[in-house]
Amino acid sequence: MFELLFHHPLSVYRKGELVWQSGWPLWILAALIFAGCVVTALFVWRKTHEAGWPTLRGATLWLLQSSVLTALLLLLWQPVLSVATLKPQQNVVAILLDDSKSMAISDDGSVRRDLAQKALESGLLDNLKKRFQVRFYKVSDHLERIEDYHGLKTEKAASRIADGLKQIAAETGSLPIGGVLLLSDGADTSGGIDRETVNALKSRQLPVHTIGFGRERYDRDVALVDVQVPVRALADSRLGAQVILKQRGYAGQKATLQLKDADKVIGSKQITLAADGAAQTETLLFNSGPAGVRTLSAAVANMQNEDNFGNNALTRLVQVEARKPRILYIEGEPRWEFKFIRRAVEDEKTIQLVTMLRTTQNKIYRQGVKDAKELEQGFPATTEEMFAYEGVIIGAVEASYFTPTQQALLKAFVDRRGGGLLFLGSRASLADGGYSASEFNDILPVSVGDRRTTFLREKATVELTAAGRDNLYLRLEEDAARNAERWKKLPELADVQNPGPPKPGAVVFADAISGRGRTPLLITQNYGRGRTAVLGTGGTWRWQMLQPIEDKSHEMFWQQILRWLVSGTPGTVVASSTQSVFTDETRVPLRAEVRGKQFEVLPDGQVEARVTGPAGSAATVLLQPDPVQPGVYSGEYAAEQPGSYLVEFIASRALEQLGTDTIAFRREDGLAESYHTEQNRELLERLSAETGGKYWKIEETKTLPEEITFSEAGINTREIRDLWNLPAVFLLIAALRGGEWLLRRKWGAV
Amino acid sequence: MHKRRIWITGLLLATLLGVAYAQRRGGFRGGFPFVEYEDQPTPADAGDKTEFVFARMMYPNWRSNDRMWSMRGAWSIDYPKADRQFVQGVRRLTRLNIRSVEQAVNLDNGDEVMNYPWMYVVEPGHWDLTDSQVKKLREYLLKGGFLMTDDFHGSFEWDVFMQSMQRVFPDRPVVDLPKTEPLFHVLYDLDDKFQIPGIVNYPFEQTYEYDGVNANWRGIYDDHGRLMVAVCHNMDIADAWEWADSPHYPERYASLAYRIGINYIMYAMSH
Repeated sequence: MFELLFHHPLSVYRKGELVWQSGWPLWILAALIFAGCVVTALFVWRKTHEAGWPTLRGATLWLLQSSVLTALLLLLWQPVLSVATLKPQQNVVAILLDDSKSMAISDDGSVRRDLAQKALESGLLDNLKKRFQVRFYKVSDHLERIEDYHGLKTEKAASRIADGLKQIAAETGSLPIGGVLLLSDGADTSGGIDRETVNALKSRQLPVHTIGFGRERYDRDVALVDVQVPVRALADSRLGAQVILKQRGYAGQKATLQLKDADKVIGSKQITLAADGAAQTETLLFNSGPAGVRTLSAAVANMQNEDNFGNNALTRLVQVEARKPRILYIEGEPRWEFKFIRRAVEDEKTIQLVTMLRTTQNKIYRQGVKDAKELEQGFPATTEEMFAYEGVIIGAVEASYFTPTQQALLKAFVDRRGGGLLFLGSRASLADGGYSASEFNDILPVSVGDRRTTFLREKATVELTAAGRDNLYLRLEEDAARNAERWKKLPELADVQNPGPPKPGAVVFADAISGRGRTPLLITQNYGRGRTAVLGTGGTWRWQMLQPIEDKSHEMFWQQILRWLVSGTPGTVVASSTQSVFTDETRVPLRAEVRGKQFEVLPDGQVEARVTGPAGSAATVLLQPDPVQPGVYSGEYAAEQPGSYLVEFIASRALEQLGTDTIAFRREDGLAESYHTEQNRELLERLSAETGGKYWKIEETKTLPEEITFSEAGINTREIRDLWNLPAVFLLIAALRGGEWLLRRKWGAV
Repeated sequence: MHKRRIWITGLLLATLLGVAYAQRRGGFRGGFPFVEYEDQPTPADAGDKTEFVFARMMYPNWRSNDRMWSMRGAWSIDYPKADRQFVQGVRRLTRLNIRSVEQAVNLDNGDEVMNYPWMYVVEPGHWDLTDSQVKKLREYLLKGGFLMTDDFHGSFEWDVFMQSMQRVFPDRPVVDLPKTEPLFHVLYDLDDKFQIPGIVNYPFEQTYEYDGVNANWRGIYDDHGRLMVAVCHNMDIADAWEWADSPHYPERYASLAYRIGINYIMYAMSH
C-alpha cells in the first residue's frame, strides 16, 4: 500500500536525501508561497465579507486554497530523493549466523537453527545472490568464516555478537561490504552491544539487518533477575540476600526460594509469586559464618511445566573477612547502658569492644585493652591512636571533655578514616552536652539545638520507621512484619533524648514514643568516607532486664548495630571489581583505592594485583593510577578459565609496603546462554536502528534484499527518485479541492 | 477468757523480745554513744529521677511463723540512715548519678526488682526466701542483676544464709574471692582489706561477732566469670556507713566500707 501511494519503499525515504532539482533558489519558492497565501487571503476575505459568512468559514476556505497553491508551487521546484544504492554484484553481504547453544532451543517444535536455515532457503538467499555476493560467518564464543551455512553445531555456551560484528568491521576493511545480515535470537552473553561496536560499524557505515528467532516471551517461566548480597562481611554476621525475580504464568502460586552455601541450605522461604512480568523482591537472611569466601547460590524451585529451567538460579560470592574490628566506647559516667552493652557483645567473637569508663572525675576504668599502655593517657589524642579503631561510641560525655584536637580527630576519624561513630543519648550528650558548639555539630546526623533539656528519664516505647523495617541490622525477627511488631512490644526504654531534627540526607530508622510524643530515636548518615549515628537513649538495658532470660533482643540489637558501625570501615587499601561473578565475561576490571598510613590520599604509590586462578594459575597485574581520581588505581585481568579466583592487591610506595587487600571473584561459562533464552528482540532492534539497518521477522523478509540495496557502505551510486509524480500528491490536491467544493456546496456558495 | 490470756502472754513475750533485741544492739547499755534513727528526714531531691538507685532487698525472716513480713524485719536493719549516708559518699566521690534516697524492693512485687540491677541485702543470715522469691532472685541475677550481702556473722547465720542461697543457685558454689578479683580494683585497690565491725562491737576491742572471727570475701560467679553475688560475711559494712558521721566510729573502718560499697557498685555497672 505504501509503495502504491509513494512509489518507493519506506527505506528510500528514510535513507534518501531531499533535493530540489529545478535549481531555482528556495527563497523565491518561499516568497511565492507567502505571496500566494496573502493574495488568497485577500480574495477569500472579500468574498466572505460580501456573502456575510462567519470568519471561521473564510479561514477554512483560505487554508484549503493556500494548501493547494503551496503543493503546486513545491512540485514546480521538482523535489526528488537522492539515495545511495549498492551497485549490483559489486558488493558483498556478510551473513552472520548465531551458532551458540541457545539456537538449538526448540520453540513450538521448531529448532531456531533450522528456522534460520529455512529462512535463507525460502528465497531470501537466492534474492540476495541476485544482487550481491554473500559471505557466511558463524558467531558463538568467537567469529569464524564458513563456506556453507549447513551443519552448524550450536553447541557453544556463549554468544559474543558484539565481538563478532566488531571483528567483521575490522577484518573486511578492504572489502566492499554493503551490509550485514545477522540471524540470531539476540541472546548475547557478553553484556550486550556496546558503544564501541556500534561506533565501529557506523564508521564504516555498515547497516546491520537482523532477523530474530525464538519466542519473544515465555508463557510459563520463573526467572531470577538478580541476587544482591554484600560483597564483604564480617564473620558470623547476619546478612540478607535480596533476590529479585520475575515470573509469567504462575501468578499467585507458591514457590520455594532457597539460598545455599555450596551444598548446604542456609536460608529458605515460601513465597507467593507476584503478577505476570512484575519484578518481585524477596529477602533471605543468613549468617555469613567464619572467615573465607562463601559461594552462595540462590534458587527458586522448578515449577511445573516451566519453559526454561536454566534461569532459576544465580550464584554470588561473599568475602567473609577475618578482621576483628576494634570499637572504642567512652562512657562519661557509670551507666547501666554501659554494663549491658558490654555484656551484649561479650560473646561476639568478631568485634572487640575497648571501653573507657569515667568512674570519678579523674579516674578512668579501662576494659578490653590489649595491654596496660593502651589508652593509658586517656582518650586518643593522636591520629595513630585514634585511627587504630574502626568504630567509636560516645556515651554520656559532654563536648568540653574533648580537647579541640580530639574533636577534630573524631571528625577526621569519620571523614578521612572512614570509621563509624555512634552517639548515645544521655544527660551529657547532644544538646545537653553542648555538642552544637563543637566539631560534632558537623558530623552529627541531626541538628542539635542549644536547649539543654532534651534528655528525660521518662519511659518510651520504640517503633521502627519504614526505613527501619527494611533495615536488616534491625531485624530481631526474620519476617519484616513480625519484626516490626516485636519492636513495638519491647520493654520501655529507661530514658529518652530528643536529638533534634534529622539533617537532609540522614535516615531515621526508629522513633521513640514517650509521654511528650514521638521523637527520632535512631538516626544515621554517611559523612565523608564513614558514617555517624545517634541513638537517643541510654536505656535499652531494660530490654535485657525486663524480658525472659532466653530472650536475645538486647544482645542481637547491639551486636548488629556495632557490626553496622564497623562493617564499612575501610583499610588503607580497598580493592574491588565490578561484580563478584563474571558469567561468560573474561575481562575482569580491577580497582584499588589506596591511602597512606594517616589515611591521606596517596596518588604516587604502586599497586600490583596478584591473581591466583583455577588449577594454581597465577598472574600479576600492575594497576595504573587513575588520572581523574587521585589515589585510585585500576587495571584489567583476562580470566579465561572458569572457576574461582583470588586477587591480592599490594600497595607500596618507595619500597615501603602500605597495605594489602584481597578480593575474590568467580568466572562461569555457559550460564548466561541458558539464562535468557527468549528472543532478545530489543537488542536486535536497537542494533539495527543504531547502524541504519532494520529488524525483520522471518515471514517479512521478502523485501530485505532490496532494503539492503540502499546503503552508503560498499560500492554504490546515487539514484534520483522523482517525487512529483507520486499518486499520494495528486490524491492530496484532489482531496483539498474536493473538500473545498463540498464545503461551498454545503454553505450554498456554489 | 482463754483468748484474753493468749493476748496478754503474747504481749509480754513481744515486750521481752523487744528489750532483748534492743540490748543486743546496745541501745540501752550505759555509755553507748550510738542511737538508731527511725525518722530520717526526707531530702529535698528525693523525688529526682536518677541513673542509679540504692535498692535494699526486703525478705521474710527466718523462722517467722507465718513467713509474713514482720513489722520491722531484719531486712531493714540500719535502714534508712546507712543507705542515705552511703549515697552521699558515692555522690561526692564518683560521677554516678545516684538518688538521695534508697528504694526498698519487694521480690514479690512483679518485675519491680528488674529496674534496679544493683541490690543490697542486710542480715541475710536471717532470711528465709519463699519459692517465688528464690525464682525471681535467680532470674534477676542471671539477667545481669547484682546482689551485695552484708552483716551476717558466724557459722549459724552462714548456714541460714546458705539455706536460701542454695535454693537460688543449687549448682553454683560460693567461693572465696582472690585478691586479684576486679571487684577489689575497679576503682579503689582494696588489697589490704580487714574486718569491719558493727557498732555492737563498741568500743571495738573485738571486731567479730559470734564465731565469725575472720572476715570472708566471697561470691558467686556466672558462666562468664562475672560476679553476681558479692558475699561480705563476718563484717558489718552498713554499720560503718551508718555511723561514719560519728566521732566514736573509727574512720579506718568507715573509709574501707565506703570504698567497698563504691567498688561493688562500679563493678556491677561495668561487668
